[in-house]
Amino acid sequence: MKRIKAFIPYLQTYRREITIGIIALLVTDFISLVIPWLLKSFIDLLPQKPSGSELAWYAGMLFLAAVGQAVSRFGWRKYLFGPSRKIEVDILNKLFQHLQTLDKTFFQNHKVGDLMSRATNDLRAVKEFLGLGLLVALDAVVVIIAAIALMIYLNPQLTLYALLPLPLVSILFFGFIKTIGVRHTAIQEHLAKITSMVQENLAGIRVLHAFAQEENEKKRFDALNREHIARNMHLAKLFGMFTPSLVLTIGIASLIAFWVGSKAVIAGDMSLGAFVAFNGYLMMLAWPMMAIGFVINLTQKGLAAMGRILELLNSRSFLVVSPATIPANSLRGEIEFRELTFRYPGEDNPVLHSLNFRIEPESTVAVIGMIGSGKSSMAQLIPRVYDAPESSLLIDGHPIQEIPLDRLRRHIAYVDQDPFLFSTSIRTNISVGREDATDAEIDDMVRCVHLTPDLARWPQGLNTVVGERGVSLSGGQKQRIALARALIRKPEILILDDAFSSLDIETEATILSNIQRLDQAITTILITHRLSVARQADQILVMEQGRIVECGDHESLMKNEGLYQRMYTNQALAQEMEILLQ
Amino acid sequence: MTEWEEESLEGRYYDWPLFKRILAYLRPYGKLVAVSLVLLLVVSVLNLAGPYLTKVAIDDFIRLGQYEGLDRIALIYLAVLAGAFVCQFLQYTLMQYIGQKVMFDMRTQVFAHLHKMSFRFFDRNPIGKMMTRTVNDVEVLNEMLTSGLILVFSDLFTLVGIFLMLAWLDWRLMLVVCIVFPFLYLATYAYRTRARDALRKNRAHVTTLNSTLEENLSGMTTVQLFNQENAQYQKFAGINRDKLKEDLRSLHYNSIYLPSIDVFSAIGIGLVIWYGGGRFVQDEVQLGVLVAFFQYLQKFFEPIRDMAEKFNIIQTAMASSERIFELLDTPEDQPNPERPHSVSQIAGNIDFENVWFAYNKDNHVLKDVSFSLKEGESLAIVGATGSGKSTIINTLLRFYDIQKGRILVDGVPLKEMNKQDLRRQMALVQQDVFLFSRNIMDNIRLGNTSLGLEEVESVAQSVNSHHFINNLPFKYEQELIERGSSLSMGQRQLISFARALAFDPRILILDEATSSVDTETERQIQDAIHELMKGRTSIIIAHRLSTLKTVDKVLVLKHGEVEEFGTRRDLLQKKGTYYNLLKLQSDFSKGTV
Repeated sequence: MKRIKAFIPYLQTYRREITIGIIALLVTDFISLVIPWLLKSFIDLLPQKPSGSELAWYAGMLFLAAVGQAVSRFGWRKYLFGPSRKIEVDILNKLFQHLQTLDKTFFQNHKVGDLMSRATNDLRAVKEFLGLGLLVALDAVVVIIAAIALMIYLNPQLTLYALLPLPLVSILFFGFIKTIGVRHTAIQEHLAKITSMVQENLAGIRVLHAFAQEENEKKRFDALNREHIARNMHLAKLFGMFTPSLVLTIGIASLIAFWVGSKAVIAGDMSLGAFVAFNGYLMMLAWPMMAIGFVINLTQKGLAAMGRILELLNSRSFLVVSPATIPANSLRGEIEFRELTFRYPGEDNPVLHSLNFRIEPESTVAVIGMIGSGKSSMAQLIPRVYDAPESSLLIDGHPIQEIPLDRLRRHIAYVDQDPFLFSTSIRTNISVGREDATDAEIDDMVRCVHLTPDLARWPQGLNTVVGERGVSLSGGQKQRIALARALIRKPEILILDDAFSSLDIETEATILSNIQRLDQAITTILITHRLSVARQADQILVMEQGRIVECGDHESLMKNEGLYQRMYTNQALAQEMEILLQ
Repeated sequence: MTEWEEESLEGRYYDWPLFKRILAYLRPYGKLVAVSLVLLLVVSVLNLAGPYLTKVAIDDFIRLGQYEGLDRIALIYLAVLAGAFVCQFLQYTLMQYIGQKVMFDMRTQVFAHLHKMSFRFFDRNPIGKMMTRTVNDVEVLNEMLTSGLILVFSDLFTLVGIFLMLAWLDWRLMLVVCIVFPFLYLATYAYRTRARDALRKNRAHVTTLNSTLEENLSGMTTVQLFNQENAQYQKFAGINRDKLKEDLRSLHYNSIYLPSIDVFSAIGIGLVIWYGGGRFVQDEVQLGVLVAFFQYLQKFFEPIRDMAEKFNIIQTAMASSERIFELLDTPEDQPNPERPHSVSQIAGNIDFENVWFAYNKDNHVLKDVSFSLKEGESLAIVGATGSGKSTIINTLLRFYDIQKGRILVDGVPLKEMNKQDLRRQMALVQQDVFLFSRNIMDNIRLGNTSLGLEEVESVAQSVNSHHFINNLPFKYEQELIERGSSLSMGQRQLISFARALAFDPRILILDEATSSVDTETERQIQDAIHELMKGRTSIIIAHRLSTLKTVDKVLVLKHGEVEEFGTRRDLLQKKGTYYNLLKLQSDFSKGTV
């Protein structure tokens, strides 16, 4: 009930349309009850040799009724289905907006596939429940009550006999639907297995072909698909019973009506017209009887789906919302970590242990360390992808949470190793950084990130569309576009999280010196695996297992003979080797 | 992209050859299909019996006031119901069975075909696309065969049956009722053209909507960091608005068309009342016939309503099948020779003779590469990134065919051998190990089920993997998830060594991993590599200088060309790149650089 309540406001937006729709539905039901009655009167009239005009009157009445019915049917289709489709759009928009407020923790706990399925399949179930479900329920109730009332009026005894098998329809329907659902899920799960086997085969095709595993894989796939047949047939047998048994039950009801009714007609207890009309009403009951099962099913699905959607709508960002009081029209770019210990939300073990350091405005700090040493975790705290514990991270001397989030992010640019590009043109991707950027500014940035040679190769230049997530681009091109997008914001703090990993060292060096030359005071945090780049920084932080183990400039760290010195020597060797081989 | 696909969908609608090709998949099950159609026919006939029985009851019994015989009719009615029940069940189950079989045939065919494709094909085609072909498209086609096509038949049977029944009952009355049909046809046609357009646009919008949603979900952090929330929302809501517009448009057509069928039905019934009633008054037609007409006419309009919806299913299925056939028609571009040279057991001599190779036209990655290895020798290949090291491996395994020159194994050109037989003699250890989401044992032996636990264990033992596997909760039965992400880099390396050893190859091909592991693991790995190389021809792409000191021969590649090749001693004397590499290392260990 609580779940439905959350969705009522969406219905209320369209209450006028829905009211018209309901009225139209009632009119439709009323007329469909009138039609058998007209036929009854006609048949009963026939033995009295009616005149041509009387016949024409009946034909005309029937036609009018049909037109009326058509109009009212049009009305409820349009005014009941219409709002449900509009509500679908409203909910989806609302959901989209809400998801935008959630932080990374949420998106790490929810796979994109799962979210997509909630936004599409579950939403469809809600739409069907709110539109079709409520409509069918109302329709069924009205038709059942009215048709049974009329049947009783025509012949109470016959009604009793004929209705005997009908509750069975609902029971059958409901029972079947439930089991069908279970077996259907089993099929879907198996289909997912088939999908992942195909996916894995394609992803691992080198291994499979190198080891000549084609035949074995085919056998596996065969077996998997045979199982799929078995599961499908398991459902098919049930489904094969489903419709015929409904038809049979309704058939038996009409058989009873026919058998008992025809005797009643001969005995003179009932007119022939009434007999025909009675059969007509009985047939009208067939659908609502099935509908009861149908509605129950729709409701179950709809409620479950509502639950899943509400779970999303009720999710909250882990980022602290505190009264953001600092205006922060610009930042100086001073960053201070104060005894910062950080664990990811929901985790027990900290990934960062009591970090203490200060980054001066406009200085460059390099952060180095093995994979998993906590470099990115640390960097992501600065644009508040994750939230540092209160008062442990200060920007310009203010606790970071006190700076309004959108302001903070406006002044910080974070570029990671595998940047996310939108499937639009390169130009649009760059101007995401700042929408009012002029073409000249964009061109400047393209030069700054050394993208000009690449652009020359594309006939459409900056207007080249990058394809889904930039599939048509190389890793290095993506990284440079992302960098241009970041720099065009004129950030006061620039975080480069292994942002040049796909570029060669020379290009990286060129770009870095280009950035230095920009007419902009930037505090740079440079996370890198390349120590020849790191050595240029004002300050180098060496991280290991979430701790800063060494800190200083290149000279002092080399004298230290610690991790930095070891890593540096190894890399220099590898680099010399590469140079030698070039 | 979607625009184009939808475009082509239009043409496919009437594509008879395509349709015939789909039907060809039914051929192996011809008899079953025939039985199913007969059952379908029986069901349709039985379903039409009800109104006729009513007519007989009214005209021959009720109106004459006769009790006798009514029971018999009721019994016949019951028999008809029971018969329809049984036939319908059989028909449905049978058809599902056929559909499943066809789907099985098609899916395994597509899967087998994919395995015939060369690496050039896989380079070009994204995985997602091929998955859609094998899974979703086949599923759609099945839906068409089992529900779409069959229901069209059943609807057709019903329509024809009703026509015949009406004609037989009273052909004049039937002709009068027929006046309605041209109008019905026009209405249906008008509806279909419009609805199809709206549906097509709606589908295109839904695709855009979903991809925008997915893009935003995957890139949410980027959206947020760039304060793009509102811009993205506006874009999304805009697409949603467009989608709604088309949605409501198709609803509008539906809302007009479907009720309009009722009007036609009512006109039909009105005609029966007016014309039939008149004929009844003149005693030319019996009352039961009129009642039967009413009931038949009601049944008549159901299939028509259905058929409009069936066309949608058929339409999408045609598009799916076209895509499947397109894949199946992609020729195998590196087929095995018709009479392959037998390679049951090779010694392991390898010769590259003036090999030229390019992934893309003329952009040669290997230029005139020649070298030779005797049985049991080991070779280290060194070179800068992009110098063509992995390409040598790719051509030796015949993942790609070379353009010029020859590659010989035991003196036989690769092209004259069966690819699979050739590869069975080799084992590839990749830099980034690919593990399957199966258990450890199956990851080591792959499909080679003749290897039992004992053999796998002993293999693992010789390459230092047994110890850590044995410490896993389920040991060799441990299921791996998501490409073995629960294992460390070093452990995955060791498993891939075990895999290579399990196949006991004559030729070992190893791409050394660059990622650094701790010293203990490093020692285990080096140890295992020695074990692997023992007694085999081995080719190692070397990333560590230390490796260069353990092999028999060294090949230095520069921009796709062989700069140096020879035994270690030869190369040391030559004082070229190899010499400098070794010198570099000793300088470094002395700390002079």
